[in-house]
This record gives sequence, C-alpha cells and structure tokens, in this order.
Amino acid sequence: MKTLIVIPAYNEALNIERVIRRLTETAGSIDYVIIDDGSSDQTADICRAEGFNYISHPVNLGLSAAVQTGFIYALKNGYDAVIQFDGDGQHRGEYIKEMEKRIEEGCDIVIGSRFVTEKKPLTGRMIGSRLIGAMIRLMTGRTIKDPTSGMRMYSKRLIRIFAENSRMTPEPDTVCHLMRLGAKVAEVQVVMDERIAGTSYLNLSKSIRYMLTVSISILFEPWIRADRKLAEKEESA
Amino acid sequence: MSVIFRLLLMAGAVFEFILVIRMIRKSAMSIADSIFWFGFAFLLLLLAAFPGIAFWASELLGIESPVNLVYLVIIALLIHRVFKLYVRLSEVNDKLTRLAQDLALRDHEEK
Repeated sequence: MKTLIVIPAYNEALNIERVIRRLTETAGSIDYVIIDDGSSDQTADICRAEGFNYISHPVNLGLSAAVQTGFIYALKNGYDAVIQFDGDGQHRGEYIKEMEKRIEEGCDIVIGSRFVTEKKPLTGRMIGSRLIGAMIRLMTGRTIKDPTSGMRMYSKRLIRIFAENSRMTPEPDTVCHLMRLGAKVAEVQVVMDERIAGTSYLNLSKSIRYMLTVSISILFEPWIRADRKLAEKEESA
Repeated sequence: MSVIFRLLLMAGAVFEFILVIRMIRKSAMSIADSIFWFGFAFLLLLLAAFPGIAFWASELLGIESPVNLVYLVIIALLIHRVFKLYVRLSEVNDKLTRLAQDLALRDHEEK
C-alpha cells in the first residue's frame, strides 16, 4: 500500500526541519509532501535547502486548501491512502503503520485518537470536543472519541472526493458527513506531543467561529450536503 | 414625503448614476454588474418624482408613512445585493484557491 503523508505548514520555519527528521526516523521510508501555505517566514527556503518534498502555495489559502492540495497531489500520483500530519510536531510517525493496517482492513477513515483508552480531560477545548462528539452521535448513532484530532488517515476512495470537492474540509463535520454516506471509521490510540515552537492557531473568537461552523455543518447536514452514498459514487466512477 | 426628502432622493440617484458611469469608464466595473445600480438609481428617481407610487403602495401594505416604504424597498434591495455578493465571493474564493493550487502543483512538477 502506498501512503502519502500530507504536512500542511504555515510559518513553521522553527519546526519543520525537526518534524521531517523525526518523521523519517519513526515512520521509515513513507512518502510525504509538505504543503507550504504561502508562509511569510523561511519555511519554503528551509524545505528547498534540505531537499524536502514540498509544494508552495503562492498565497496563503488556509488549512483546508493546503490539505486539499495534498489530496490532489495524492490523486495525481496514485496513492492508496493519505494521512494528514501537523507541521508543528504534535503528531508522531510511529502510529502510521497501525493506522495503515486499519485502512487495509477496509476502513475509510482512521483517526489518530487521544481518547480510545485514555480519559478525556475537562478543559475548554475538550468541552468543545464533547459537544461535537454528541452531535455526531445524534446524527450517525455512532461514537467518535476524538473528533477534533487533526491526525486522520483516509482511504483511496476518499482521496478523489477530497481532491475534487472544496466543501470537504478536513474537519469533524466532514467525517460525520462521510459516515452518513457509508464511510467506515476507526480510531487508533495515539499520544500527541505539545507543539515544538510557536503558538496555536486557535484563539477564543476563532474557537467560537469553529464551533459554530462545525455545529451548523453537522446538524443541518441532511439539508446542506445532499450527496450520493459512497458505494453509488464508486459504481458511477 | 417632504419636498426636501424627494430632492435628497433625486440628488442621491444622480450622484450614484455619475459614480457608476465613472466606474465603467475606468473599467473598474463591468457593464453587466452595473445593471443593478442603474436600476437602483432609476428606482430612486421614480420614487422621488412620483410620490403617488409610495403613497399607493404603503396604503396597500398597511405601512403608516410612505417614507418608510421607500426605506423598506431600499433596505430589501440592499440586503438581497449583499447576499448575492456573498455567493459571488464564495465562488471567486473557490476559483482563486483552485488557481493557486494548480500553480503550486505545476511549480512542483517542474522542479
């Protein structure tokens, strides 16, 4: 199985070299591509100097578009699975093998989950996570223990869907939508690290915006995301 | 509707008309996009020149003052315009994203 690691990076000059070094040490010889999302710092220069495989957006397009560029690249180059991997050092490469195994067993989405066996703490962020989890349960009848984890692997039949549809953002609402279309989801217990350097993207107003967007998208899914089941899509493709 | 209010409406319409003409001449607005604004200026002129229209319509809808009907029409048109603008903005954003992604992928292939 050919898996592509997609690493979106926006102004990650302080992290990117360590992230890639650590990744190649722990994950072995898996292909990766860095999507430099129009960084204004030295991210692209470092990638070029180090000979990393990277694609540079000419302007900043946002995380969703950066991940989508990775999917388009995967589609063009015939990959069987894509895993989204943060450019700030939070994700660990050692779990990729296990996630691949689940894809091979027939799963469509494998989430690198912090809470399969571990308990969820009661922080503000995790209250948001619980709310999203409850909404997904309401809409699908199934439980996702870590819906906001950014570490997700997608199967081949989803690569095309993500590459061609800009409404398929790599967020929990899309996971919920795909579940309703018949995608099989699994979670693998992982440990995540604190980001190596720099600050997180989320502040209070962005968090509220994020929660509202995800909530509307999940709860109104039947009206706003009319779509055919995955199996039908494959037949017509 | 006082005479001053009607003159104000007309002045607004004329001012807008001149503005649209200038934007088209400078190629800052396409003729297709200008249709709405010409129509809007014309409507303001019409309402100012023939106050009977506002009186008749406000009575029909049970609106106490004809001036309020003028406001209502203007606000409704503008809200609709803003909504359409949002749709356009989303479209343009999607296209821009596609273009930038395509460019980035081409650059990568040439390396």
